[in-house]
Amino acid sequence: MTRRLLTGNAAAAWGARLAEVDYVPAFPITPQTEIIETIAHWMDQGEMAGRFTTLESEHSMITAAGSAAATGTRVFTATSSQGLLYGMEMLYTVAGWRAPFVLMNVSRGLSSPITLEPDHNDILAARDSGFLQIHCATCQEVLDSVLLAFRLAEDDSVRLPVIVNQDGFYLSYTREPVEIPDIEEVRKFLPAFDPENTQFRAGEPRSQGVAVLGGAFYSYFRYEMHLACLNTLSVFDSIAQDFADHFGRKYGILETYQMDDAEFCFVMAGSFATKAKNAVDLLRDAGWKIGLVRPRLIRPFPADALCRALTGIHGVAVIDQNLSMGKGGILYTELASALYSSNSNSPLLVSYIGGLGGRDITREEFFKMARETRHAVETGKVPLPRLLYTEDELRQMRKLQTIAHAPWG
Amino acid sequence: MYRIRFHGRGGQGMKTASRILGTAFFLEGFEVQDAQRYGAERRGAPIFAYVRASREPIKERGIIQRPDLVIVADDTLLLIDAPGVLKGMTPQSVLLLNSEEEPKMWKDRLNFSGAVFALPDVQDLKEPTEQLHIGTVCAAAGARFVGVISQKTLKQAIQDELDILGNQIVEENLEQALRVYDLMEAYAGKIKPSSEPAVADYPDPAWIEMPYEDARISAPAIHAAATSLKNPTGLWRTLRPVIDYDRCHRCSSICSTFCPENAISVNENGYPQIDYQHCKGCLLCMEQCPHHAIESSLEHTKTLESDKGDEI
Amino acid sequence: MKETTFKSLKNLSTDHLLASGTAICAGCGGLEAVKIMYDILGKNTVFVNSAGCMTLLSVYPFTPFQGSWLYTAMACAPAGAQGIRDALDVLLNKGRIQPEEDLKVVVLSGDGSSYGMALSATSAAMDRNLDFFYLCYDNEGYGNTGHQSSPATPHAARTATNSGPFGYPGYKKDLFAIWTAHKPAYAATIIGSEPLDLARKVEKAMSLKGPKMFIALAPCPTGWHFDPRETVEIGKLAVKTGIWPLKEYLDGKVIHTKPPRRRIPVEEYLKKQGRFAHLFSPQRDTKQLEEIQARIDEYWAEAI
Repeated sequence: MTRRLLTGNAAAAWGARLAEVDYVPAFPITPQTEIIETIAHWMDQGEMAGRFTTLESEHSMITAAGSAAATGTRVFTATSSQGLLYGMEMLYTVAGWRAPFVLMNVSRGLSSPITLEPDHNDILAARDSGFLQIHCATCQEVLDSVLLAFRLAEDDSVRLPVIVNQDGFYLSYTREPVEIPDIEEVRKFLPAFDPENTQFRAGEPRSQGVAVLGGAFYSYFRYEMHLACLNTLSVFDSIAQDFADHFGRKYGILETYQMDDAEFCFVMAGSFATKAKNAVDLLRDAGWKIGLVRPRLIRPFPADALCRALTGIHGVAVIDQNLSMGKGGILYTELASALYSSNSNSPLLVSYIGGLGGRDITREEFFKMARETRHAVETGKVPLPRLLYTEDELRQMRKLQTIAHAPWG
Repeated sequence: MYRIRFHGRGGQGMKTASRILGTAFFLEGFEVQDAQRYGAERRGAPIFAYVRASREPIKERGIIQRPDLVIVADDTLLLIDAPGVLKGMTPQSVLLLNSEEEPKMWKDRLNFSGAVFALPDVQDLKEPTEQLHIGTVCAAAGARFVGVISQKTLKQAIQDELDILGNQIVEENLEQALRVYDLMEAYAGKIKPSSEPAVADYPDPAWIEMPYEDARISAPAIHAAATSLKNPTGLWRTLRPVIDYDRCHRCSSICSTFCPENAISVNENGYPQIDYQHCKGCLLCMEQCPHHAIESSLEHTKTLESDKGDEI
Repeated sequence: MKETTFKSLKNLSTDHLLASGTAICAGCGGLEAVKIMYDILGKNTVFVNSAGCMTLLSVYPFTPFQGSWLYTAMACAPAGAQGIRDALDVLLNKGRIQPEEDLKVVVLSGDGSSYGMALSATSAAMDRNLDFFYLCYDNEGYGNTGHQSSPATPHAARTATNSGPFGYPGYKKDLFAIWTAHKPAYAATIIGSEPLDLARKVEKAMSLKGPKMFIALAPCPTGWHFDPRETVEIGKLAVKTGIWPLKEYLDGKVIHTKPPRRRIPVEEYLKKQGRFAHLFSPQRDTKQLEEIQARIDEYWAEAI
């Protein structure tokens, strides 16, 4: 085991290296590119045994990933944003093949307007595809989640591909200390992939991904995918425990922080949640009973775990780094549906949209969200969903608009 | 926690600076976070990188809201992006500049309430034939200012980060870094780890309700021509092309045709004129002029300042 | 190159690999080409199919293949082939499968995919010198959706999206030329109605490594509007009239493998198909017919 400074991108590449993947189909896109460059370099140097192929699009890349997995190899690939959407048809398609592999998505806001910095609309656009989704908050978690993802994907009760998500810039280009496990220990945790009957070989006739006619037959296959996805919830803890036994780091389906005596909490996904932890620390110094709940798995959606974690909580500020046009925050919506069908005394939810396109969420904004949530609980009046956006930001926007709308010359 | 920000230009090695200092902290047993802020910027454009280091796990992320130390590799940046360089600085923050000007001048001019220091003359840090490795120099100065990084650790960090560039480059970097580290011994420990203000000390964010505006306004469309002229990209320039009109043959076309930036116009008498407000200093014109009528000189704050024009 | 084993029709296998029982239309000229090709390639193959008529070859739980098959989507069958080839190579290199477990990878794709949506993926597969076979069954329209115009539709043919008096206004794209511009290991045009020519070409391609590209003109009773019994006859007429030149590309050269000795007028081919009926009645469209003939004449004047 060594501990060194790695970017989220390098941590992802290390995850693939330690998983001893056979195949990496690739296509460059910011802010993911460093991952495939790193892997390509290792393969060139003979430090990684396998094959690296640059495809001509993400659509083809995901096809090649799925077909190589369907041939019985361990596959890793990576993309971001527009690339994930360009490959969207194939995300759904290859998930239906039930051939497990791991795709790293480095979150980046979607066009239009096109941008480089992160939010979660790209990854959440894939939430109904059949891929499991693990959302990371630190570079260590990126590496560890790749290993966990292969175990989950290849588990007999799951057999679905997994997207591991990390935020562009905030993780992808940020170095943090990361423990790189020893390969021998990884081999014990993650043995070689046994594709069982998902493979192509001479002498074993097999037709994969075939058509089906008739809604009832179709429903069977699709619902089986759903059940397999849900199975993740029951196998996650034992795989995570096995991971902890080997590497000393324990991951839950949720990360909870300072929740033991909490009356209020933040709920959010991804790397910005570490900022929420920082805000929790400062608020606790000021006498608040407040914590954080961060779902690590978004698919399957950990509804029961969230309901349990929020039992006894008075008010929750749900911070969505995404925006479903015409609806609002996706996490808020899904959390509300989970709580609505639970028997517990549901906490009051306040919905915030923040961090779109990499827009920062400041400490004072966390504090204000906490105050508003407490006020909502005290008065019983829930504020409307809010975009975190300041007067000064609109003023800056106005300056740009003056240029964009004024004749020049 | 230590919160340190490096400002420089694309190509000056600010990412390297943050990585060397980050690794040095890490080798001294700190938890570390370092990153470069990427954007659409290119060589010569303002760029920054940052390092956080703490004995505790770091929960902050992204750009540093309140830096303890800001190191500026190129004082011309203070003309381009003074608000960016000074962003979040408090009276307790320290500004360390690579500048020929006196720190006092900058302190007054920027109306900055914290302490301002200057690097020693950086040209003296290198052998005459060597390239100046300003990023590494800035990292070494930062290592000295925090006072918790030994010379041995600094050396190791430089070796770790630059190993891939080969021995000779590593040696040059080491020599320059150790010189500045030694010369600045008196500044050891000037920067102390800062704690975080309490909740009550933060201002209330001035949130607004986002107004609805129709698509004629709110679509990402520019309803005007050539608005990019508003960007004074001349401030990216580190080298300045200068036309010697005595040698100019008024061919009227070569420099103006090849300039990718459309920064050379031809006046009514057939003489080319450089638009210094936008010239990025690529010196392609100098290379192409058949009569060698264009020369280059080092860009200075004074000449740049006169070219600045209207910033957004 | 060694002599062909296919000297006469008798040399073709009568023990066919592709099973019957599929949902493909009766009299399909595309299926005819697939079947003959499959006999030569053998069952140690994996077909990678793109969206099109042949999607329906395998409908759960029925497959006609003795070997394997993977259904992808319309734009990306060559990428699917890449993934499988790469995976098999890795498995071979790492000793996890034996050479006798290896498979030939075959893309099976219609003209809608090959001439259009998958052209980028096909081009890239050739750029990467992928070792695979590619069979485009070209029925000159989006057949599986009811025969709308595709980039492979011939001039003047009536389709579901060009049902007016002049038919399709465009001209069939020269996919063979686009493919050969990539300098693949091998490329050929074929047709099911000329099984010996087809067999010899597939046989030749099997000795080569790299992209081996085939376009089979696929007479389509459903989309071209003719009686299914005439599929072979129409196919032969396509060759005899010279509208479907049989050729191959190898080592940078194009050779016509079955140039019609005396070309018969293209009308003989056109008038058998309902999609061209408007050229003959209610009155003869001499101008269009002459143009179609002139283009064929021009092709052969250049070719020979």
